[in-house]
Amino acid sequence: MKHESVPIYWRNIPQYYRLVAKRCKKCGTIYFPPVAKCKCGSVELEDYELPREGRLLEYTVLYQVGTDFLKQKPLVLGLVELDGGVKVSGQIVDARPERLKPGVKVEVVFRRVVVDGKHGLVMYGYKFRPVERL
Amino acid sequence: MGRHYSKNIDDMAAAVLDKAIADAKADIEALYVASSTTELANKQQLLGVYILEALGLDGIPVYRVENGDGSGGSAVAAAYHALRAEEYNCVAVVGVDKPNDVLSNQQQDIYATTLDTYFERYFGFTPLSQAALMAKMYLKKYEYRYEDLAQWAVLMHNRGAANPYAYFRKPIKLEDAVNSEYVSEPLRLYDVGPLADGAAAAVLCNNRRDGVRILHVATATNPTPFNLRQDYDRLVSLEKAAEQAYTKAKIAPRDVATAEVHDSFSIFGILALEALGLARRGTAPLVVKEGNAPVNYSGGFKARGNILGATGVYQLVEVAWQLQGREFKRVDGSYGLVHSMGGVDKISTIVLMGL
Amino acid sequence: MSKLGVVSWGAYIPRYRIRTEEVSRIWGDDPLRIVDMYLVDEKSVEGIDEDAVTIAVEAARRAIRRGGIDPRRIGAVYVGTESKPYAVKPISSILIDALGLTNNVFAVDMEFACKAGSDGLVAAIGLVEAGRVEYGMTVGTDTSQGEPGEHLEYSASSGGVALIVGKDGVAAELEAMYAFVSDTPDFWRREGSPYPMHGEGFTGEPAYFRHVIGAAKGLMEKYGYKPSDFTYVVFHQPNGRFPVRAASMLNIPLDKVKPGIVVTHIGNTYNASALMGFAKVLDIAKPGDKILLVPFGSGAGSNAFVFTVTDVVKDRQKAGVPTVEEMLQDKILVDYAQYLKMRKMIKLFE
Repeated sequence: MKHESVPIYWRNIPQYYRLVAKRCKKCGTIYFPPVAKCKCGSVELEDYELPREGRLLEYTVLYQVGTDFLKQKPLVLGLVELDGGVKVSGQIVDARPERLKPGVKVEVVFRRVVVDGKHGLVMYGYKFRPVERL
Repeated sequence: MGRHYSKNIDDMAAAVLDKAIADAKADIEALYVASSTTELANKQQLLGVYILEALGLDGIPVYRVENGDGSGGSAVAAAYHALRAEEYNCVAVVGVDKPNDVLSNQQQDIYATTLDTYFERYFGFTPLSQAALMAKMYLKKYEYRYEDLAQWAVLMHNRGAANPYAYFRKPIKLEDAVNSEYVSEPLRLYDVGPLADGAAAAVLCNNRRDGVRILHVATATNPTPFNLRQDYDRLVSLEKAAEQAYTKAKIAPRDVATAEVHDSFSIFGILALEALGLARRGTAPLVVKEGNAPVNYSGGFKARGNILGATGVYQLVEVAWQLQGREFKRVDGSYGLVHSMGGVDKISTIVLMGL
Repeated sequence: MSKLGVVSWGAYIPRYRIRTEEVSRIWGDDPLRIVDMYLVDEKSVEGIDEDAVTIAVEAARRAIRRGGIDPRRIGAVYVGTESKPYAVKPISSILIDALGLTNNVFAVDMEFACKAGSDGLVAAIGLVEAGRVEYGMTVGTDTSQGEPGEHLEYSASSGGVALIVGKDGVAAELEAMYAFVSDTPDFWRREGSPYPMHGEGFTGEPAYFRHVIGAAKGLMEKYGYKPSDFTYVVFHQPNGRFPVRAASMLNIPLDKVKPGIVVTHIGNTYNASALMGFAKVLDIAKPGDKILLVPFGSGAGSNAFVFTVTDVVKDRQKAGVPTVEEMLQDKILVDYAQYLKMRKMIKLFE
């Protein structure tokens, strides 16, 4: 029976669940998604969990979605700058889009991302929601 | 181009390749195949070999080149470099894609595999959504209204009207674009090049006097993740490729008589003009509105269509014909260029051509 | 033996609400009569991308943050729920990765209708008291089901509460605990069945009241407590009437029960029901306050706990973590169609 790849989801769990990034021990640069080698040349990279609050930089409301999101459209997708300066992208949830604007304070939440049909895995990951109800 | 439900992908490619070879009166020694969807939509690997099969062609090497929707430019680049190394005398490049063999939501799934599959596609991002974010930031930064961006669609449809191979061949009014439905706010339907089935082929040779010369092919990448980029109002990969190409060929932007740029979304057309030095940063919408910019006489992705990986080969043929005055009105000048881009500013190929 | 108790707590209520009159509009009930019967004005509704797992994660993260606890010191995780996305695959294992715990954690999901979250509390207390783990966590979480068009639908709602038990940094010391359990089938859900069955009036006297009173009285008699000893009394809240009646049957003044009532605003969050009242009370309790906590689960059984609040509670209340009262005010109303869509109750292609 066909189903979505479990290993592909499972090995990214530290990133999906806890936003585990890589930080270069030599120059301090933080990479999310994680990388194997820093631009400064160092391969000494340590795990670093990103902060869970930040500010919305910009967002769009997407109507032409892929198959996994047909029943959830429109998707609000945005760029967030987390405390400390690292930018991440993701879905913005629990907010009416017309009330969103750059600068709004957001927090990381743990949500369903994709459900593999009736019999497959429920896959989770990070999304962002405004700290204050909007 | 359009919806070719009754043709298989290898047959479409074979038909156009056959025409190109006959037109060039050449013996090709290798085949470069550009396709973005052959595996994911048509479940066919080794596409090139099946194209040879359809034409009864024997034994020549086949190279499948994939760089997302920039596959076309990259296939041309690969062919060019092999010819420069004098590996072959004549080769063919064929581009083919059939996105209309799958449903629209599946098309978005496939297109989204040009993004980071774990951190962007997984969460629902598509190239359109990233283009929308860039468009939103561009309009705010340079204080344009949406109408200013919509001028791109108007220009493209005007030009597409003169291209016998375009998907859409009717001019539009600004209101048509401005009133079209949102696809990813602020981008509307008319900001998106429609996905189309199509095939294009070209024969490239060393040591021939006829045809159009390829002066230089430059490729550059911008491997920074979308979320970590510093500027969202630039096509960095294109800036790098263009600088390399202009420098190598010793020509300047003002020498370019025709440029076919990668306007999969209107904002990319705007940013391409700026990256190519055909408009100063932040001013491209005004240049577009004037109506004279030497860009996308084919109608671009918007009117000619977005044939994904195959488009780069279409663009090559279009620029060649525009310089020659074949199927198109002859452009006023001797130099032209193709801009073929993969993903959202991940990789750009510039093909500089001249009479 | 050194004292142990609740070191920290965390709660999560989804933002969305549906009003009783919106549900009654669809099914032809008189909304005034329904509100009068159950004293439920609105209930919480999970978002389309939420489930018992995501709710458990949020509640647990808040408990950890409130207590300033290093997740690697948590040695046990229990999840009590009756709305698992999987018949077989635990939520507790997902918590281990979602919270950044070590792999050396005793973890299991538990089921006893609405009581299981508090059964995890019992289990955590056991391991902590024995010195086998430093901290133990229990989470009561549900996105509970009610058959559409049937009265349970007015109250079956979504929410989660996490409690962390330990000996170091105790905010509410455990003084006593007691249980009262029997085979009383007042409410159940067969394997594969989407909605539970219940016995209407049978859920009252023979079930809820017999076991809640049985546990509370049993504890008070065994350990010598009187109603006047308690500052707050928190019962399981299937609706707004039952806890009030239970209080009067035990001669407990209403003003001790009212602060812990949440069901009027968010409905019955099942495994998070009594625990949510407990969290709400902890948000405002003062050192020295005594709290009687009596969760109930159909099938049927009740646990009863007595906690005494310590000075540490002041630090916990100032930790900058959302309080239950703040969450009760943080709401977006939805209509019945959105409700069905969000709760994934519309039949789609698989």
